[in-house]
Amino acid sequence: MSDRTIDRVASATPPPVARKIRGLSDRAIAWIFVAPTIFLLLAINIFPLIWTIRLSFTNYKANRIGREVKEIGFRNYERILTDSDIWLNMQATAHFLIWTIFFQVLIGFTLAWLINKKFKGNDLWTTIIVLPMMLSPAVVGNFWKFLYQPQIGLFNYIIAFFTGKEPSSFEMLGQVNLAPWSIVIVDTWMWTPFVMLICLAGLRSIPDYIYEAAEIDRASKLRQFFTITIPMVLPFLMLAVLFRGIENFKMFDLVVQLTGGGPGSTTELTSINLKREAFEKWRTGYASAYAIILFVTVFGLASIYVKALNKVKER
Amino acid sequence: MMSFINGLMRLRRGPWEMLATIIIAIGVFMLMQPFVIWAFTYSFIVTLTGTVMFIIVSHFPE
Amino acid sequence: MSSFSVNEPSNRTKWFAGSLVILYAIITMIPLVWIALTGFKSPADAISYPPKYIIGSDSEAGFQPTLEGYVNLFTTRTRQTQEFLDANPPENWADEIVRKYDMVIVGPSKFGERFLNSVIIGFGSTFLSVFLGTLAAYAFSRFKIPLADDLLFFILSTRMMPPIAVAIPIFLMFRNLGLSDTHLGMILLYTAVNISLAVWLLKSFIDGIPTEYEEAALIDGYTRFQAFYKVVLPQAATGIASTAIFCLIFAWNEYAFAVLLTTANAQTAPPFIPTIIGIGGLDWPAIAAGVTLFLLPVMIFTILLRKHLLRGITFGAVRK
Repeated sequence: MSDRTIDRVASATPPPVARKIRGLSDRAIAWIFVAPTIFLLLAINIFPLIWTIRLSFTNYKANRIGREVKEIGFRNYERILTDSDIWLNMQATAHFLIWTIFFQVLIGFTLAWLINKKFKGNDLWTTIIVLPMMLSPAVVGNFWKFLYQPQIGLFNYIIAFFTGKEPSSFEMLGQVNLAPWSIVIVDTWMWTPFVMLICLAGLRSIPDYIYEAAEIDRASKLRQFFTITIPMVLPFLMLAVLFRGIENFKMFDLVVQLTGGGPGSTTELTSINLKREAFEKWRTGYASAYAIILFVTVFGLASIYVKALNKVKER
Repeated sequence: MMSFINGLMRLRRGPWEMLATIIIAIGVFMLMQPFVIWAFTYSFIVTLTGTVMFIIVSHFPE
Repeated sequence: MSSFSVNEPSNRTKWFAGSLVILYAIITMIPLVWIALTGFKSPADAISYPPKYIIGSDSEAGFQPTLEGYVNLFTTRTRQTQEFLDANPPENWADEIVRKYDMVIVGPSKFGERFLNSVIIGFGSTFLSVFLGTLAAYAFSRFKIPLADDLLFFILSTRMMPPIAVAIPIFLMFRNLGLSDTHLGMILLYTAVNISLAVWLLKSFIDGIPTEYEEAALIDGYTRFQAFYKVVLPQAATGIASTAIFCLIFAWNEYAFAVLLTTANAQTAPPFIPTIIGIGGLDWPAIAAGVTLFLLPVMIFTILLRKHLLRGITFGAVRK
């Protein structure tokens, strides 16, 4: 649009001035401006990606430099996709994904709805609530590990205080039945504000006159909530859910610091499992195939996410 | 439903993107479901198909 | 507000909503406050049961604040014999604190170094990604670029990649290029991750600046380039500043690449903090002190950023 305006301006100005306006052509400038970014991303993201695809068809091991590398076709993929342990890791990831999203949407939406009542000082309290989500996930995992200590941890103390149980009678990080929930709790603590902020934007995007019209039609408050509020916030909620879904699908830092994947492999999410294969067992070729599987999944979800993003942008 | 099929026939972006989205969603579900292992085995192909399809159909006209 | 609006909640509703939100805010702050408190406890107080939470009280729930955690965080110490301790009186207040455990300070710990690494890598990558991001965002905002939507999606999708998946080839690549465990390698890597956010966010800021000013400048005889840095850049200053803070926070917080690709020379604080060991296990007060110092800058930045938070976390899609 703008370059057409410039053309019009250029054709209306005397030739010497017009030449000066053009200087470097817009097209040249556009490319000069975009090229470094694209180049950097090609070098640090796309080139490695292609390399990963190549490696995924081999039995390469990065810690044995001299060893002969054999092409083994799709064998790595076959082995991963028929491995029931990896299937279990996927289920652990699914448990983590579903419950974090459930709690974050529930609490996040409720908070946004309450904050939208515009009570005095809501800005201040919103800022306080938002703090956890900006912190370093690894460091958060690290200090929650302290809070979760049986015997000395604050979390056990508070639960014991309210339920009357012995504080040393349960170990959030050590028990097979509790560990998956311990990571859900921390992730919810950390990321509920994210869902809240996006829901708040959704609620604030609903124009007042819609409610006024509904009021004239004598629609009840409950009916207004389900026929106006929910549908209008839904695109925003989709955005939040997709983004949290992608982020938690590749969750690594928080959980690795908190549980390290244990006890057993109950909290071994896919990224932790992948790290083990790639950087502890050094099965580089196998891990590359694993990485490609995760990558394609994330890429698929990301394309849906961008579609949702554009939908929200139109509002 | 009729307009959806109509859109598919005329290679419109909207319905095709919807179809690709559904395929990706099914693939992701197959990857992480706890019921049958063969679904896990074929999830990658399904997700890959959906993703490639999404990239192609997002260039169809509106 | 008019005297009557259906959307203005009653005072009772407001009071009710307000108290619930405040309750949540208080609960959410407990872990953070607890960590800040732990940083000022002695190792014994930090792991006592029931927990001690009243500062400076002699009651059962009270503890005397001490800087032990901070001293332990920044120093390395060794145990000494009683004769040695008697012969060498403490040199300063920090030495005095460690004498309680029959120890002397022998030198600084690695924390300072790791913190400095975080600062260098954080600022380096922020500068690069904002610089490149501004140029690209301007081009995407103002010019017709073929396949612009695909390029933008490509740029965004690079941020979505699972870090561990990218780390495998990056590890091999850095090993071949001699970039492993160097500041430059980490700066380049963080720039590549941050640049997608920078481009999308800055594009949304630059899209919001009317094109009329530039067009006027062009008519006045400015070249495109002059119009860009004399007219557009000053107007985008707020946007550039908040983008920079977002990039800085990301680089500051990053853990996965740091733990896999750095070991000593360029290691940042997040992989280092959990490894602080004291006498008989993890030194929780020192860890808590490190965590507090590490998180504090981010909290201050978050408060500064609060108006632009939403835009930042949605890659510029939601502006209000």
